[in-house]
Amino acid sequence: MSTTTADATNAPETSYEVLVKTGRQSSRPSGANFLGTLLTVLGALFWIFPIYWALITSFKPEYEVVQPGIRLWPEHFTFENYSFVLLNTKIGLWYFNSLVTSGSVTILVVLMSAMAGYAISQLDFPGRRILWWMILASFMVPIPALIINHYVLMNQFGFVNTWAGVILPQLIAPVTVMIYKQFFDGVPKDFREAAIIDGATELQLLWRLYLPMNMGITTALAIITFIAAWNNFLWPFLVTSSEPMLNISVGIYQVTDAFGVKYARWMATAVLAALPVAALYLIFQRQVTQAIMLTAGIKG
Amino acid sequence: MASVELKNVSKRFGSTEVIHGVDLSVADGSFCALLGPSGCGKSTLLRMIAGLEPVTSGTVLIDGADVTQVPPAKRRIAMVFQSYALYPHLTVRGNICFSMSLAGMARAAQNERADVVAKMLQLEPLMERRPAQLSGGQRQRVAIGRALVRDPQVFLFDEPLSNLDAQLRVAMRLELANLHKSLKTTMIYVTHDQVEAMTLADKIVVLDKGRIAQIGTPLALYNTPANKFVASFIGSPAMNFLPASARTGSGKSLLATLAGTASLTLESRKGLPPTNLDTVEIGIRPEHIRLVDPGDPQASLQGATTIVEQLGNTTFVYVDTASGPLIVEAGGAFQIASGSNVGLAIETAHAHVFGADGQAF
Repeated sequence: MSTTTADATNAPETSYEVLVKTGRQSSRPSGANFLGTLLTVLGALFWIFPIYWALITSFKPEYEVVQPGIRLWPEHFTFENYSFVLLNTKIGLWYFNSLVTSGSVTILVVLMSAMAGYAISQLDFPGRRILWWMILASFMVPIPALIINHYVLMNQFGFVNTWAGVILPQLIAPVTVMIYKQFFDGVPKDFREAAIIDGATELQLLWRLYLPMNMGITTALAIITFIAAWNNFLWPFLVTSSEPMLNISVGIYQVTDAFGVKYARWMATAVLAALPVAALYLIFQRQVTQAIMLTAGIKG
Repeated sequence: MASVELKNVSKRFGSTEVIHGVDLSVADGSFCALLGPSGCGKSTLLRMIAGLEPVTSGTVLIDGADVTQVPPAKRRIAMVFQSYALYPHLTVRGNICFSMSLAGMARAAQNERADVVAKMLQLEPLMERRPAQLSGGQRQRVAIGRALVRDPQVFLFDEPLSNLDAQLRVAMRLELANLHKSLKTTMIYVTHDQVEAMTLADKIVVLDKGRIAQIGTPLALYNTPANKFVASFIGSPAMNFLPASARTGSGKSLLATLAGTASLTLESRKGLPPTNLDTVEIGIRPEHIRLVDPGDPQASLQGATTIVEQLGNTTFVYVDTASGPLIVEAGGAFQIASGSNVGLAIETAHAHVFGADGQAF
């Protein structure tokens, strides 16, 4: 038979042999591979340049920033911008506000989404299907389209310039609910039934079975929610105007003096604002990538 | 320990009725196997006893109490699943203690009980491992341990050995038999494997399309099947069926004429044959047919061998006859070439007669 002949001529390779072969191929790239690598490197440089620019600008004196021409390295290296921001602004308070609001958003979004996802996935109640379709439909509405309604609501509740005002509208997270539902759907029915026989209530099933069994996705969703809430600018900018209530992302715009905008100081504030998120990203890189793939519809 | 009783229990999924008014009584301390092919409703029946599947109509009684509407956790049952359903994020100890932990039992008491069960099932060195770090047999024992620790009145097993390899399955079968012997708790065991049912159970319930085809002891089902379905399902290789026409003889005797020219004189089991004897089937197990010379006066049928399977302790010979293909069981040392002409001597005392409706008579 032809299959047998093919098998006989192509002796099976060990994984090591395959690895060596692949390694050799990649060490001698073809033209297409070279072009691909070149484009990737150019893309990476293009992407990283603004970050580099912000970083070196934060170490330049202001007069150097406003000089015409492009200088890729500071002529006079200075920490003055950082010391100004740290000593003359309320950046500590802004950090604290960001931490409280982003942390609260993260905890509440994860909790509510897990519970909603569990209910839609595992419970049988009237209107379940309609509720699911409503959550799916809400995914189609861009959040900025609702921003005026949110503002009016928060104003009516008396939540303008409060943490609650910053937090509440950020709790709308249909994607997180959808992801939890999909993951809970994937938990084999036997686990649920075994736990029911063991005497678990629905809440215990969620807390002691479904959430721990999906701890990976919970971590990933928590990190990406925190990063999104930390970086959110538009809504905190609208709902808070009092300086002690500002988040770090909004606080950047307060770093001015009598002579107006100082770009180097702005950049120093921006770098300081991005530091915790960058650290978080570096620590939990794998989980963040997984979460991004999930929200993009790619199951990693 | 408790008895289990089902009274006219039926189950309907939409317009499809999968369990048709089943009546069943499982005595206190007995080992009952629910046996049948895939889709016959045996797991559904077990799940209804467990309370995992609502009963459409009828009553489920455990220890004489109506538990039809009682939630699973309060039925004092424990179930071992085919997949074992061990919680992957918990250690063996965590899995065994899970039900006690849910009930709010003190940690020390939980550990004490878990240790007793672990000792009984030789799980002590594995207590801090997670299910992923265990072999199939070890997982099986943890699943049994998780059930044991609840001190149930009734154990329910849903095909617990089907994920194990053949050797381990035999070992675990023995362990289950020993467990039942030592605990003497009522056990209901779902399987499609007749060997498991025959070796473990003292009562087998054969199910066919949501109905009970026969209830009896393993030997009763093997020796006196009530119908063609049970006759064909119990025994490996399966019983041979020969189409025939019959006429009544004296007393309970019947004279059956097989396709071709052969005729057999048989005893009717019940003595009341159905009115239509034109189309009956004669059932005969492979070990009740002997291979003889074609010209032997005992040969009821002649045929040619097609395939010979030698298993060491026994030999299965496939023979093509005018009445259709037959399987004959011969001794382990029996030698015969494929294509040989042979005579078949049927031990009529062990033959079964099935009417056109499939019922034995």
